[in-house]
Amino acid sequence: MSTRFAAGPAASPTTPAIALDHVAKTYAGGVHALADVSLTVPRGTFLAVMGPSGSGKSTLMHCAAGLDSPTSGSIRIDGHEIAGLNETRRTELRRERVGFVFQAYNLIPSLSIADNITLPLRLAGRRPDDQWLHTLVNRVGLADRLTHRPAELSGGQQQRAAVVRALAAKPAVVFADEPTGALDLRSAHQVLDLLRDLVDELGQTVVMVTHDPAAAARAHRALVMADGQVVESLDNPTAPELADRLVALGEK
Amino acid sequence: MLHFAWRMAAHRITSLLAVACAVLGGAALITTTGVLAESGFSSQLPPGRLGGANVVVAADQEFHSSGEMPIALPERATVPAELVGRLAQLPGVTAAVGDIGFPTGLLDSHGTVVPVDDDPTSAGHGWSSTKLLSHPQVEGHAPTGSGEVAVAAGTGVRVGDRIEVIANGRAATPYRVSAVVQAPGAGVYFADETAVRLSGRGSEDSGGATTTADGTASGTATSTDKTGPRAGTVDLIGLRTKPGTEKWVVSAVQNRLEGTGLKVLTGADRGDAVAPGIGSARSLLILLSTSLAGIVLLITGFVTAGALGVTIAGQRRDLALMRAVGATPRQIRRLAAAQSSVVAAVALVPGVGLGYVLAGQFRTILTAHDVLPAELPLTVSPLPALATLLLMGAAVQVSARCAAWRTSRMPATEAVAESRVEPRKPSKARTSGGLVLILGAFTLSVTPLFARTAIGASTTSMAGILAAIGLALAGPALVKGMGNAMARRLRPRVAAPTWLAVANIRGYAQRLSGVVSPLAMAVVFVLTYTLAQTTVMAATSDDTRTGTLAQYRVSAPGLGGLPTGTADAVRKVPGVRAAAAVGSTTVVVQYKEFGSAPTTEEADAQILSPGAAGVIDLGVKEGDPNRLTGATVALSDEAARSFGAGVGERVRLVLGDGTPVQAKVVAVYDRGLGFGPVVLSRDLAAGHTSTNLDPSVLVRTDGSAAAEHRIAQLVASRPGLTFAPTDGADTGQDTPPQVWVNLAVVVVLLGYLLLSIANKLVAATSQRRGEIGALRLVGTTPRQVRAMMRREAAVIAATALVTGLVLSAVPLALLGQGFLGRPWPAGPVWLLPAIAATVVVTAFVTIEFPTRRALRTPPASAVR
Repeated sequence: MSTRFAAGPAASPTTPAIALDHVAKTYAGGVHALADVSLTVPRGTFLAVMGPSGSGKSTLMHCAAGLDSPTSGSIRIDGHEIAGLNETRRTELRRERVGFVFQAYNLIPSLSIADNITLPLRLAGRRPDDQWLHTLVNRVGLADRLTHRPAELSGGQQQRAAVVRALAAKPAVVFADEPTGALDLRSAHQVLDLLRDLVDELGQTVVMVTHDPAAAARAHRALVMADGQVVESLDNPTAPELADRLVALGEK
Repeated sequence: MLHFAWRMAAHRITSLLAVACAVLGGAALITTTGVLAESGFSSQLPPGRLGGANVVVAADQEFHSSGEMPIALPERATVPAELVGRLAQLPGVTAAVGDIGFPTGLLDSHGTVVPVDDDPTSAGHGWSSTKLLSHPQVEGHAPTGSGEVAVAAGTGVRVGDRIEVIANGRAATPYRVSAVVQAPGAGVYFADETAVRLSGRGSEDSGGATTTADGTASGTATSTDKTGPRAGTVDLIGLRTKPGTEKWVVSAVQNRLEGTGLKVLTGADRGDAVAPGIGSARSLLILLSTSLAGIVLLITGFVTAGALGVTIAGQRRDLALMRAVGATPRQIRRLAAAQSSVVAAVALVPGVGLGYVLAGQFRTILTAHDVLPAELPLTVSPLPALATLLLMGAAVQVSARCAAWRTSRMPATEAVAESRVEPRKPSKARTSGGLVLILGAFTLSVTPLFARTAIGASTTSMAGILAAIGLALAGPALVKGMGNAMARRLRPRVAAPTWLAVANIRGYAQRLSGVVSPLAMAVVFVLTYTLAQTTVMAATSDDTRTGTLAQYRVSAPGLGGLPTGTADAVRKVPGVRAAAAVGSTTVVVQYKEFGSAPTTEEADAQILSPGAAGVIDLGVKEGDPNRLTGATVALSDEAARSFGAGVGERVRLVLGDGTPVQAKVVAVYDRGLGFGPVVLSRDLAAGHTSTNLDPSVLVRTDGSAAAEHRIAQLVASRPGLTFAPTDGADTGQDTPPQVWVNLAVVVVLLGYLLLSIANKLVAATSQRRGEIGALRLVGTTPRQVRAMMRREAAVIAATALVTGLVLSAVPLALLGQGFLGRPWPAGPVWLLPAIAATVVVTAFVTIEFPTRRALRTPPASAVR
């Protein structure tokens, strides 16, 4: 399978993991979901994207992750331009360089945890790095759950399995879409700790979309979005600070 | 990829069961068709009475025309007798026998016929033919002179017995049994010269037959003996060879025969020479299997694609998730195809096995209706299995990829959005493709207006099925339109379950039409297929009933043909108005169509004499059937049109034994359906049939009981004769074998369709577990859920019935108009209610049970 090399050579350590340049996205019917967004995510950083419903944060993530293509502007993932690529090429780039964690875990119910974790690698035709997976699985505490089906695990465990799946291919960036939205407080804490540790210990890049100020406060930087634009950028944000901004937006 | 395919497959047993059933049934049906087709090409009779001959020389019983399948010729074509002596001189040949067979019946002391192994139309042979038998056990000595005969052991006759023999239509003659012969296919053996004389094969060149004193045969028979149309010929030549020289002898014989068109047969091929009609039986098998193949492939493809569609629709979410974690659209399609192939592979093996069994059953039906000779075995080889594997494999791969096409092209974001809604709009290409198919099918269905033949009628069911496939394609758009129309008419205060059911019809048009269209297909299939058969049968028997003026048929099945003079004798019975001999054969017609290359076509032909007008009314439109003398024919109006020959013009024919002739058309008639496309004059056919005897005589009386009584007396006084009322229906062509076959096909295919529909409905309903759970979470009671599902079932059943009826109505109206002159078909009245009941029961049962099962799951775990 030639897809392994389709995404081109690995970028140098100084290349930003994600770089958006004047990105706009308009949906059929004239809805402007994103209006001229420019943004850089350096390697080894943890970015949170916040905003009320309809602010465009999900669209931003879909475009930045290559799930969807922008109407105009340039998006580079790990130095590779994705605007203008077709669905297949974007998929190949994505599975090479991007990992995903979804709110609903999105594990395939018919596959075991081990199969779910290795699925993206198999789809890419790559041999799993057993040692790396071993490390990850031990790190998240799922070593004794590998043969189970997703339905047999708790929500927190499923989400941790999803994190391992996202990291299995050693992606340039991991996107997390409301990763704690469906979890209880304790499980949410565990997952957020895990994400932060990945950044701090392994130099992983993480972009997380959330509307929970407490979750966003774990990031290095937080963006606040409204009406398809980034209205604020806060370094080392705190939860009360973020909550204030969101409340202010809601009152506007 | 196979790993995931297998894992995901194992998780979805219910819906994959539908695929497995579809593949299993389809494989069985395709294999059956394949076995029949292959048997049509290569099945051979056992060599029977030629088992002892190493090499057989016989005439070619096929008509070859360039670029077309050879046409089987059913009447025995002969071999020059002089060849026997020449082949006997070839080195390595230990014996050369010129075999002649002629109609012969044995009578016991009460005058009843004693059956022999051999076919009565050719049971009589010369004693030298016993050399061709395989290891014959002979008790007694060879018959000599004209008063001795040897008979097959199976008759129970003993050496020294005195019996009567009716040979080649002569009067019953006493013989002394000189020997009893035990061997497969043994018949009745006369002294060689007697056999030549009896069979009318004698001529100046061929030895002593003409000089033998004749004390037994009647005067009229002797006078025709010497100058018979087949004088100087034998049926075939059998050679026995020295061990190890067979190959050499074959090539020497081939050299000697070059340019004669005669065939040299060895091994299993010898079976072909035993009975010339075997080629017709084989070509019938080919005909049957080709007409079956179309319908079987259409329905199998439809059912398999449908089952895969439901299965893959049920995995939409899983597949979308895979897209989100990095599967390319192509990988999704490959996964779907791999998964389906895994299931198909499991189902194929028993399916193919079942196919071989079914083919055996089918053969039993065919032999039971005398369509196939009971001795003709089926050819069992791995070829049909291989063809089935390839066809089903390709069908599964293509259908799975098509079914997964839309899901695979879905943007990856939809998976993240957790959309469980179907693609909003059915694709335009699909809808218009379906509508075009329906229109095309309706256009096709006008054929019966122009071709009043069984083949013309078969387009009716083909058109119906094509229309049903069109419906399957256009279905989602139609169902959606219907749902919208229903929603507009809905009163605002309608009961919640009804409101929900209507909402589901609109929202899940694709899912709904996925179950409606196979049900509609079943309705269309049964209606068009069955009614096309019954309509043709009704029109045919109508033709024969009105066309048959005779009340009685006299025949002699045990004698291989009526003794000479029977018709004259019957005609002299007081009260008989008319009596005429009738027979049937097959001819090949050569004609040109619109100036294109000459076409050849096989046609059933009746053999009638001029007097036949008194017993059969062909419905002559033009010309005069009383002029059927010499080289003349009459044609049905269908045949006259397609051959481009009117009264007074000439047609080129090849008779049943391969002789090319030109014949003048003296009449064109109306009742082609009942009496076949071609009628030959008795003069034209004379000498070109296997027996040259009349198989039966039709009799019309004044209708009095006295006349019937006198005919019965006449028949009783002549051994071997039987007589039966014609009942108006059996004088023309028999019920075409296609009818029996097609009715069997309806039953088998309907079973297959219903099974797949049931599977599909169960699978579709089981997949709605999450939806049912969600409804219950928001406060819908189980009773309301059941009510909603029942309403949906009612809509499904009603829609399937109505669309099925509408789609069948057009072709059936045209069929009725073409065949019966009225815009509706003929057939059993109970068919429609029976179908309606089947559809309703299927829809309700297959929805009710999975719904109840889904309701047993706690709602909270169902939505998870």
